[in-house]
Amino acid sequence: MGVSASNWDPSRPAPLEEDVVKCVACGLCLPHCPTFRLTGRETASPRGRIAAMRAVEEGHAVVDSSFTTMMDECLACRACEAACPSGVPFGRMIEGARAQAEPTRPVAARGIRRAGLTGVLPRPRLVMAAGWLLGIARALRLDRLAPAAHRASSPPVSLTELRRPIPRTLGEGPLARVLSGCVMDVAFRPTQRATMRVVAAAGYTASRTTPAGCCGALAMHYGQPEAARAMARARIAEMEDAEIVVANASGCSAHIRTYGELLADDPAWAARAEQVAARTRDLIELQPPPRDAGLGTVAVHDACHHLHAQGIGPRGLLAGAGAHCVDLGDGGRCCGAAGLYSVLQPEMAARLRRQKAEAVAATGAPVVAVANPGCAIQIAAGLRELGSSVRVAHPAELISPE
Amino acid sequence: MATTQAPAVRDRFAALLDPGRVIDHPLERRLYGRDGSIAQGDCGLVVLPETTAEVVACMRLAHDLGIPVVPRGSGTGLCGGAVPLDGALVLSVARMSRILEVDPSVPCARVEPGVLNLDLSTAVRHLGLHYAPDPSSQQACSIGGNVATNAGGPHCLASGVTAQHILGMEIVLADGEVLRLGGTAPDPPGYDLRGFVVGGEGTLGVVTEITVRLSRNPPHVTTMLLDFPTVAAAGAAVGGIIGAGVIPAAMEMMDQKMVVAVEAFVRADLPVEAAALLLVEVDGTAAEVASHTAVVERVGAETGAGRVRVARDEAERALFWKARKSAFGAVARIAPNYYLHDCVVPRTRLVEILARIYEIGAELDLVIMNVFHAGDGNLHPLIAFDRRDPEQVERVHAAGTLIIEACVAVGGVLSGEHGIGLEKRDFMPLTFSATDLEAQACAREAFDPEGRMNPAKVLPIGSRCGEIVLDAGSLPEGTWL
Repeated sequence: MGVSASNWDPSRPAPLEEDVVKCVACGLCLPHCPTFRLTGRETASPRGRIAAMRAVEEGHAVVDSSFTTMMDECLACRACEAACPSGVPFGRMIEGARAQAEPTRPVAARGIRRAGLTGVLPRPRLVMAAGWLLGIARALRLDRLAPAAHRASSPPVSLTELRRPIPRTLGEGPLARVLSGCVMDVAFRPTQRATMRVVAAAGYTASRTTPAGCCGALAMHYGQPEAARAMARARIAEMEDAEIVVANASGCSAHIRTYGELLADDPAWAARAEQVAARTRDLIELQPPPRDAGLGTVAVHDACHHLHAQGIGPRGLLAGAGAHCVDLGDGGRCCGAAGLYSVLQPEMAARLRRQKAEAVAATGAPVVAVANPGCAIQIAAGLRELGSSVRVAHPAELISPE
Repeated sequence: MATTQAPAVRDRFAALLDPGRVIDHPLERRLYGRDGSIAQGDCGLVVLPETTAEVVACMRLAHDLGIPVVPRGSGTGLCGGAVPLDGALVLSVARMSRILEVDPSVPCARVEPGVLNLDLSTAVRHLGLHYAPDPSSQQACSIGGNVATNAGGPHCLASGVTAQHILGMEIVLADGEVLRLGGTAPDPPGYDLRGFVVGGEGTLGVVTEITVRLSRNPPHVTTMLLDFPTVAAAGAAVGGIIGAGVIPAAMEMMDQKMVVAVEAFVRADLPVEAAALLLVEVDGTAAEVASHTAVVERVGAETGAGRVRVARDEAERALFWKARKSAFGAVARIAPNYYLHDCVVPRTRLVEILARIYEIGAELDLVIMNVFHAGDGNLHPLIAFDRRDPEQVERVHAAGTLIIEACVAVGGVLSGEHGIGLEKRDFMPLTFSATDLEAQACAREAFDPEGRMNPAKVLPIGSRCGEIVLDAGSLPEGTWL
């Protein structure tokens, strides 16, 4: 059989041929894939998803609803990428595949998602306004009207917290631009304050970027690269003067580190993007002076975008504050939050949420450190479902309590 | 083009399972047309049963409908054994992944076929036990697939291959009949058919439950890396160690190109400038380990080893093994496809056959790397290539044939552990006479008179006795025979 022309839509981003052919189908990724573990289906495995991409690439299949389901069932946790001896860059491949899948999705769902990713997220004021609306809805207990599956993924916005300010700058020393971020700034404001304190304690002048200004990760993960590039440019412009750039959500730090790749074809921005990417640190990589915060035993959840995408973890930071860290013993399997996954694939997400919550509860620790907003919402919901009293907290809050 | 089972057929299977466990979309079926080899087959329908009863129901229906069936574990096999042809039904046991019982007193475990090899060892680690056969794909491959291929692995040098670790099996035959073979008793009554079913490559039935022997974890282990200036020197060391009366738990060799590819993935500070690397593991009591380590070091020094690097701790030992066990996958860093051979030669002929393999690579202008079980002469020459280049594929094909012929010529056999499947099927006459093949075909027919189990695999077309002629199986894309 000869090689036919590719069936990718040329007007959209697509997985690169040179990436797709790298997979030798050895299957070593299978046990690391949470959705394969749950279903036993090749169609829900990294190897299967890549084979589907290759089938489209080689003209043996088209992008249809079956292709889209396979790509959407993926958590994009990238556990497969860390396990792959061939170095297949699965993270960027799944982004391309999802961009291709976009036209097969129902028009209404596309419209809503598109409005959120390209209409709201790039506009910090709208993000903050959405936060206030969510806060009001929660205050009125309107969240009870949402289906149970969505309730579990609703961010813990509080009007009291929204009214409390976050310092714009703090500390002395070289300049550190601290990403405000979208969800973090709206729903995790105590973490934002703690982050400023930790950055200052690490010897920097901590300075926040535009409140509720998104890094663009969600838009990129969900097939809207143009919106993602626009957000990247806005963040680069306000962060490039800094010695270091700090993000306190794993998805954000992982994404900012790819800014160079994202804007490589934009001559005006490529070098600036590379520079910001190179200066980026996740908060958990900072080294504030050790001090005993009396933490006791802390269960550690590894966010996928730390463990698999960046190969980092918060244990050093926590141990420096006197914590006795315990692992969850589940090999770092994804909790099922995965960006919008818990909203889009509620059934699979619920099973992963339960597994993760059980693993956290089994450690016996009173608190679990979680350095990503999606994971924090998901794990807190899972623990509530179990009736567990384990507290979920960002490492920054743990090492620098108010 | 892909063959589809009629919607009515799909609906009948869906009535036995639930619709979510029957796959018939063309793209989704296509994913079940492959295993770890490069052949793309043609899968007509996929079923994912969860119990023996469901397997029986599916097999009876397939029997009634006259549909060929290909059992599938994790699909990590390398010889096309799980590749369906002509729209066959793929029966995946991936959802039959429960460990049913562990009996530490035997010690043994009763497991479903979809249990992953490493998951079993992990589950019994707290009892001081493990499952000994450890193929390189052990994190991903299933016990059912291990039984089908009679899988080996680095530690099979001292502990024996899969067949030596299977105590009992439950197997569902092509017509749905359930057969129980063996058990925990040392010697089952009647003919011991276990040795025939292990390595049956899915041509005899679907194994639905397996009782495996578990092994005690050795009290002490030492793992060493020895680097050599030439492949011949490493080969001499292998002979020297065994000649000195030491059978290491494992003894693996990797040549320079392979080491370079693997180092890029594991970053274990491997000696990338050495011509060959030997990974030797010895285990047992402290005294045994000490004396065997001394022998390995002495032989290494005598045969020109540069340095003997002993794993400092469990983490470093795990890193050495990760390097060895991710070798095949790491090849994609050199070329997008690989063709991995699996043949066995008498250990004394290792050096000579390796030289011949490099010669074949040079003659045909191909990158051939070697990573293999040196201790038992089980070679894995690996040819890196790009299947998008048809002319290159031709040369890879030619090299494969020359390598197999060279191995058989020095008294070797076709397969050490991967199986025959599609890949080696037509090489079978190199080692078996027509009478041998016919005898094997008759034995197979006793289990599956209609020839519906994994048809066109293992035995060359025309081996069967009587009048039944298998569909030759139009060869799938990417295969050569």
